[in-house]
Amino acid sequence: MTRDDASEHSDRPTGRTRRAVLAAGTVGLAGLAGCSALSGGDGGGNGTTTGTETGTMTGTETTGNATNGTAQQGNAATGEALPIEEYRGSGPLVQQRPSLSGTSIQDLPPLSGELTIYLGGGEGGLYTNLISLLERTYPDFEPRTRLAPTSQLANTIIQETSAGSSPADVFWSVDAGSLGVVAERNATVALPQRVVESVPQQFHPREDWVGVAGRARSVPYNTDQLDRSRIPEDVLAFTNANVLQGNMGWAPSYGAFQAFVTAMRLLTSRGRTKRWLNGMQEQGIRTFPDEFLVSNAVADGEITAGFANHYYALRVQAARPNAPIDLAFTEGGPGALINVSGAEIIEGTQRRQLATNFIHHLLTIEAQEFFATRAFGYPMIPGVPPVGGLPTIDELQPPQLDLARLSNLQPTLRLMREVGVL
Amino acid sequence: MRSGGHLGALAGRFRGDEEDGDRPPIALVLLAGAIAAAVLSPIAWLVLRVAGIETSYALSLLTGAATTSVLANSLALVGAVTAASIAIGVPLAVLTARTDLPFRRFFTVAVALPLVVPSYIGAFAFVSAFGPRGVLAGLLAPIGVESIPTIYGFGGTVLVLTLFTYPYVYLTTRASLLAADASLPEAARTLGESSTGAFRRVTLPQIAPGIAAGALLVALYTLSDFGTPAIMQFDTFTRIIFVEYNAFGRDFAALLSLQLLAVTGVILALESRLGADRSGAYASRGARSGGETALGVWKLPALAFCLAVLALCLLVPVGILAMWLLRSGSPGYAGGGFAFQWTFAWNSVGVSVAAALLSAAVAIPIAYLAARYRSALSTVFDRATYLGYAMPGIVLGLSLIYFGTTYAPALYQTLPLLVFAYVVRFLPQAIGTTRSSVLQVDPTLAGAARTLGESPSRAFRRVTLPLIAPGVLAGAALVFLTTMKELPATLLLHPTGFDTLVTYIWLVQGAGYYGAAAVPALVLIVVSGLSMFVILSQENTDS
Repeated sequence: MTRDDASEHSDRPTGRTRRAVLAAGTVGLAGLAGCSALSGGDGGGNGTTTGTETGTMTGTETTGNATNGTAQQGNAATGEALPIEEYRGSGPLVQQRPSLSGTSIQDLPPLSGELTIYLGGGEGGLYTNLISLLERTYPDFEPRTRLAPTSQLANTIIQETSAGSSPADVFWSVDAGSLGVVAERNATVALPQRVVESVPQQFHPREDWVGVAGRARSVPYNTDQLDRSRIPEDVLAFTNANVLQGNMGWAPSYGAFQAFVTAMRLLTSRGRTKRWLNGMQEQGIRTFPDEFLVSNAVADGEITAGFANHYYALRVQAARPNAPIDLAFTEGGPGALINVSGAEIIEGTQRRQLATNFIHHLLTIEAQEFFATRAFGYPMIPGVPPVGGLPTIDELQPPQLDLARLSNLQPTLRLMREVGVL
Repeated sequence: MRSGGHLGALAGRFRGDEEDGDRPPIALVLLAGAIAAAVLSPIAWLVLRVAGIETSYALSLLTGAATTSVLANSLALVGAVTAASIAIGVPLAVLTARTDLPFRRFFTVAVALPLVVPSYIGAFAFVSAFGPRGVLAGLLAPIGVESIPTIYGFGGTVLVLTLFTYPYVYLTTRASLLAADASLPEAARTLGESSTGAFRRVTLPQIAPGIAAGALLVALYTLSDFGTPAIMQFDTFTRIIFVEYNAFGRDFAALLSLQLLAVTGVILALESRLGADRSGAYASRGARSGGETALGVWKLPALAFCLAVLALCLLVPVGILAMWLLRSGSPGYAGGGFAFQWTFAWNSVGVSVAAALLSAAVAIPIAYLAARYRSALSTVFDRATYLGYAMPGIVLGLSLIYFGTTYAPALYQTLPLLVFAYVVRFLPQAIGTTRSSVLQVDPTLAGAARTLGESPSRAFRRVTLPLIAPGVLAGAALVFLTTMKELPATLLLHPTGFDTLVTYIWLVQGAGYYGAAAVPALVLIVVSGLSMFVILSQENTDS
């Protein structure tokens, strides 16, 4: 966004979605295709450059100027808009952010009034941080956040709505399956097209809910113990990889893993999935309570590789820059599943307009930059790229699968129990 | 009377007339019945849910190989943890209550503290310390030790659960020891018994109800704990129930929960049978609490035993937490920025105190009825309350969501409903200790007060209540400590915006921010420890 552009927004048009370009910077790191990596150094030459090359300054500095310029023009009655640095994380992975485009918070009507948000999961308070930033922006906004494990909140909402009405206005969950379960029980109301139009259809397959940040399945591996070229490109081939014998880890009781097995079941077949689970057990794969610990064990060399959501390895790496951990992604199929954190409006809410506007805020440049650089998630709008080194969603070639079907967990669990994985 | 002979007669002199034949006051029966019914109400929801499941499907679920192996696992775990807890808890209680152990006051408080460590933190600390690539492995690697026995699985689960639950046995046994007349074993020794003989034939029967009460709490806690088996990678009922609920498999989860309650019922019946012979339990509690046994040459081994237990139970988790704290300079181990606030600690303490007071108050009628007027009905009231204790927190939470939204919308997501949930979950802890201290009070004392013209309720207040106070206090302390660390029901039922230490720990730890979890975890341990200190020093001045 140039200063001239910013000054046009001084009246904060309501309801109208504007496309804005924040900042001008260079994409310093090439996006890496295929079996890509965090370190980026040896990713090969097939990188694609995203963003516009309009300057040589770092993205952060330029963005700061542009956004501050905008903020000065902000409507005093609704509080000052915060500069994008407030939303952006820091550290080696976040350097060199390119130019961003999409709807800005500037373009939306202010949030005002009380809103009860059931926040499932919440990534260790990160999402609460984003809500606090919105609170700082809008003094009249009074969010009441209720945090609990996502499936438990889904069960709670189902119970509440079947008994009468739920106190929740918005359900924001880190798992599409939970959103789907609530939607299936007709406990939601549809989201307007103008809110979700910037999100690829894959991440809002139905009117009921919309993805706000993505999490990709990945294979964290120990760079001291394994060369990336020896990691199979197809997740189904892991059962035959001798190099991984006795050296792998997974977290079968973890929701993200169960969603992955569900995807495998739906994309291949029950029999094929059973063979895969059995095969991995014959590989001597080790069990962990969650996928952060899988990634941590990889960094410690306790295991050579594992199955985990991509951002856990990024967090380990951000915390321990010298840890020998890197990420590999398998191509296509269930191994390339991208699940989302998303939001929906709960049936019976008295604050539908505010709830809609809140969800719209989650899809702004600022919020998307927050998810990308603080939670290391995949942004849902095309104008905000993931952090350095991560392959883009297109490069990952995620399978075509209605994410709401991931709530079809029962048969998955029966299968996992049958083979003794759970 | 098992012991027979003159020693038995000596103990028997204090027994007074049992009131088995007497009819209990009708008001007391009604009160106890109402409390038991309230505590059992959440189970009604479970039964309703299960009734809606197709029978053949239910049978196929229940007889599956996984289900039966989980049943076997759970039972083996309960047996091993209970036995090991008695082996640690009873000696510690005797050492701190009846001997000249050095630094006795310190140990009295310190060895009860492992109870304040939430299992999800304790177990995780053990894995960090003793797991492959853990701290210990790191220390041993340079001196050539390449592998250490695995901490995962059955052995590790038993070890960790024992170390963090033995205080149940310790506290209930200690309460019994304090309430019992310490001059009796001395009398036995003047009659020629050795000190071990006096312990076995006089003290042990006196404190048996206390041990049994603690052992039952350990057994049922083991059955309902989720965190430890999950982290130690050992399949139990709760682990599968938890996984099912998270997978929207509410039918199967409800079914398994009911099966878990059935197992609880069997354990309760078994315990009633074993604990039925309570003869010898009655003994007057004189003011003579002296009777310190000199440890002599056993002083050093006893000290070493206490220190070893403390090192494992407190130093390991606190040390690991400190390690995370020091590492927390780097973002991956530090918080996501959702800063810790001291109000979390006040919230935790507030609800825990409320739950402890309410539990202690409602425990008295049930425990008194069960101990004084033994009948089928009083036993049923007493034992029924234990079912709530074995109900996994997540099941209780969902049940109260149903009741709250359907019948009491005004109470839904309020503190009273949350405190009620805590009482349902932890009431048996208060009942167990209260009942065993009622058993130890010579009923003729209250009778004597009545012959002197006191009304029954005044006689209870002025004679019985002061005598059972240590037991009631110990029970309240147990409820307080377990409420401080209760997680699953808290997550489901807390008022929106009301965060506690554990909900914060859950939040940051779930995302891998172990550094951020360290501060609230340490605060939880310190605050609980201070409360424990206050409670136990109170108890000492009483006796």
